[in-house]
Amino acid sequence: MALIVQTINLQKIYMLGKVPVNALRGVNLEVESGDFIAVVGPSGSGKSTLLNLIGALDKPTEGKVIIDGVDVSTLNDDELAELRRRVGFVFQFFNLIPRLTASENVELPLAIAGVKKRQRREKTADLLKAVGLSERAGHNPTELSGGEQQRVAIARALANNPRFLLLDEPTGNIDSKTADMLISLLKRLNEERGVTIIMITHDPNIARQAKRIVHILDGRIVDDAISMDGGS
Amino acid sequence: MDIVDIFSYAWGGIKLRKLRAALTTLGIVIGIAAIVALLSLGEGFRIVITSQFERGFALDVLTVTAGRGLLANIISGSGSEEYLTLNDTYTIDEIAGVRQATATLSKSISLSLGNKTYTVTVLGINFTEYSTIYSTSFLLENGSVPLNLSNDSIILGYRLHDPWKNGTILVRVGDYVNLTWTTGSITKPIVKRYTFHVAGVLKEIGGISIFGPSDIQAYIPITTAQEIFETDQVSQIQVQLVSSEQRTIDSVTNSIKNIYGDKVTVISPSAMLNAFSSILSTVQLLLAGLAGISLLVAGIGIMNIMIVSVIERTREIGILKSLGMKNKTVMTIFLCEAALIGLVGAAIGIVFGLGLSNFVTNFVFPLIGNGTNQANGQGNRVVSNITPVLTPTVCIGAFFFGIATSVLFALYPAWRASKLKPVEALRYE
Repeated sequence: MALIVQTINLQKIYMLGKVPVNALRGVNLEVESGDFIAVVGPSGSGKSTLLNLIGALDKPTEGKVIIDGVDVSTLNDDELAELRRRVGFVFQFFNLIPRLTASENVELPLAIAGVKKRQRREKTADLLKAVGLSERAGHNPTELSGGEQQRVAIARALANNPRFLLLDEPTGNIDSKTADMLISLLKRLNEERGVTIIMITHDPNIARQAKRIVHILDGRIVDDAISMDGGS
Repeated sequence: MDIVDIFSYAWGGIKLRKLRAALTTLGIVIGIAAIVALLSLGEGFRIVITSQFERGFALDVLTVTAGRGLLANIISGSGSEEYLTLNDTYTIDEIAGVRQATATLSKSISLSLGNKTYTVTVLGINFTEYSTIYSTSFLLENGSVPLNLSNDSIILGYRLHDPWKNGTILVRVGDYVNLTWTTGSITKPIVKRYTFHVAGVLKEIGGISIFGPSDIQAYIPITTAQEIFETDQVSQIQVQLVSSEQRTIDSVTNSIKNIYGDKVTVISPSAMLNAFSSILSTVQLLLAGLAGISLLVAGIGIMNIMIVSVIERTREIGILKSLGMKNKTVMTIFLCEAALIGLVGAAIGIVFGLGLSNFVTNFVFPLIGNGTNQANGQGNRVVSNITPVLTPTVCIGAFFFGIATSVLFALYPAWRASKLKPVEALRYE
């Protein structure tokens, strides 16, 4: 299988006030096309930092992130922006734009990528249908439940047919029933559409459903294993 | 992201905070309204002044005075040694392009009208020549100027006859008026008096006169003037040309200069009008500059609000960047918001400005114009005749100036927004 993401000795030090924090201390990770990875570890272990680096939202202090064979550190701001269009990000707090409706939120990355209006509308309708929210298309995020907002965020992340989907605690702010529905949606996307998924989670039950589980502790990968449940 | 999408996104941002956007826009509205009002009033003022001058002027008449001009004489602190006499009119008459030259002698005198005494300028003229040169303005109220006037005849400007235009007549044709003036030294002044017979009253000319006939002058035969003022000098020679073309004006001016050298000054009405026009333009520009200060304040307001807006929307900017928006697109969005505020503000400001200037001319100027003081008479008429004029240049200029100000002051906040780091922006609470 093709390698989409590769990190080589990835290190990140950021300043918390005046105290340097070693968020990542040399992470080597390879993600292949079609993977469904759960990244687990206690808070402060560096999970989110890793995800931000893979999603080209941040730059490493040391080491490399290679996406589709391109070293991210060699890219300028514009090239990074273009790269992000090929990455689907889903945030813990949804990060929808409050003044836009559900469908406008989904349409936004398409508009940013310069897709024509008619195609945008069609694609948006398809995506909302795929996440089961066609009925709620005209509602603002404040009028949607947490689970619904999260599904809008997933539809938005999928808009530009990304090479991979990055999810930061997608079930962190929704109830367990909705979380189950969300995970089955992700599995379906992974199996039926072949979407590569990297997901951060606290919840062992959620993590178990992935194909592969990566454990992070103190900025290092301590375990990288095929999940018995997810792999089956 | 194409420009239509950028604008519609920016518009969404403005709509989100309506009151704030409205207040920011108000700043631009006031600035632009002030500029438009001042410029359109200024332009109206200029048109009135110019047309008033033109009424008293004949564009085909040059004025020749002795010396290097009024200003030069004032600066050098002494009157000119050189002077013109009646004979000089014959010399100038010979120049090609001259139809007719006539000399005038002016003096400030006291004129008793009714039971009051007024200081007016009396002009010694050759009635035949003068009335030919100023055939459109030097006209009697009833009928033409009598040609064979006796030596003690005087013709009065309209406002000496009826100063307030309300039927209070100070003097009538056939009355006798006294002219008094002083000669001799300051220590030993000699008061002279001469009685004239009013032979006619001029039709109202209107306007402001510098060299031509005016409503507040009196006219006596030049021979009488030279006799009673005991001089053989003349103050000015009016030279009527065969045409008012610039070519003729230039060639006659040069010919006169060739004869007299620097001893005389030749003034053409068109040159004076141009000079006056340019002074007025400068004043107008100054006024617009003052109004521009309010626009500057509005601009600072925009900058302030935009900075606040960028800070508030830090997270939104982070989201946009995480979705692959380029820095320059982020910047364009904020500039578009400013441009929209500028556009709406400028459009409303132009309408308001025009309304304001019309309000001033219709309701404020008439209050000033109600004064019945004769000394203010001319000024009041100028003021009450002003109609604001909004030229397309001012209109378009103000429009783009409003937009440009907004965009200019939004540059820094927009740049700040574009430089936000995605991760930090997303983390912003």
